[in-house]
Amino acid sequence: MDILIISEYILVIALVIMMLASLRASAYRSTSMGLLGSSVIVNAFAVALLIGGSLYNLEFFRDISLALIFFGFVGTIAFAVTLGGEDK
Amino acid sequence: MIEYVQSILLIISAFLIIVSAIGLISLSGNTRNVVYGRIHIVGVFDIACIIAMIALGQYLLAGIYFILAPFTAHAIANAYWKKEDRENNVDLLTVEEEVDENHPFIHPKEKMQALESENSEKLKADDRFSVTTITIDEGE
Repeated sequence: MDILIISEYILVIALVIMMLASLRASAYRSTSMGLLGSSVIVNAFAVALLIGGSLYNLEFFRDISLALIFFGFVGTIAFAVTLGGEDK
Repeated sequence: MIEYVQSILLIISAFLIIVSAIGLISLSGNTRNVVYGRIHIVGVFDIACIIAMIALGQYLLAGIYFILAPFTAHAIANAYWKKEDRENNVDLLTVEEEVDENHPFIHPKEKMQALESENSEKLKADDRFSVTTITIDEGE
């Protein structure tokens, strides 16, 4: 098997481990930790989609990944601003 | 040759991701400033993802992610500081209770405690409140 494919599979496994870890961390009592954990899960899924796209030669996976990264960022910022409230 | 470089970059990023996952789990919830520590660990994960994107040839995505990731971390830390960080933010420890005296339903806590105390003058003077005791005799 090609070494590139093996390393891609290793990265996918690492991303799955990171998703489970961030899921566990997001169960912490503060809302900010939930926000952080969901942000990490979205980004890890986006990178996993990129790897899937390169494994199976699917071009549109890259577009989905770009959308996930960008809209995940927008959602996280919006929620954080709402959580933080207005400046005094 | 390029495949080997790509593989090395992917394995480095996988190693960094696993290290950050272990760090995220192993930080105890009782540690001081644990949320900031976890945000810092997620920074390692972000850089690992950027390395993986560069290895996969997605330079534009890597650039976008490189710009956006610090904004996310700062926004989360700022929100936590403003509303939830009771260890460091002194403003969150003082609760200002502003209750209107003439509000029909909401009353200040001190006023209600004074009313409910046994030595309350108003409670004694008010005929609407009365205390009855019923004795039940089982023999009857």
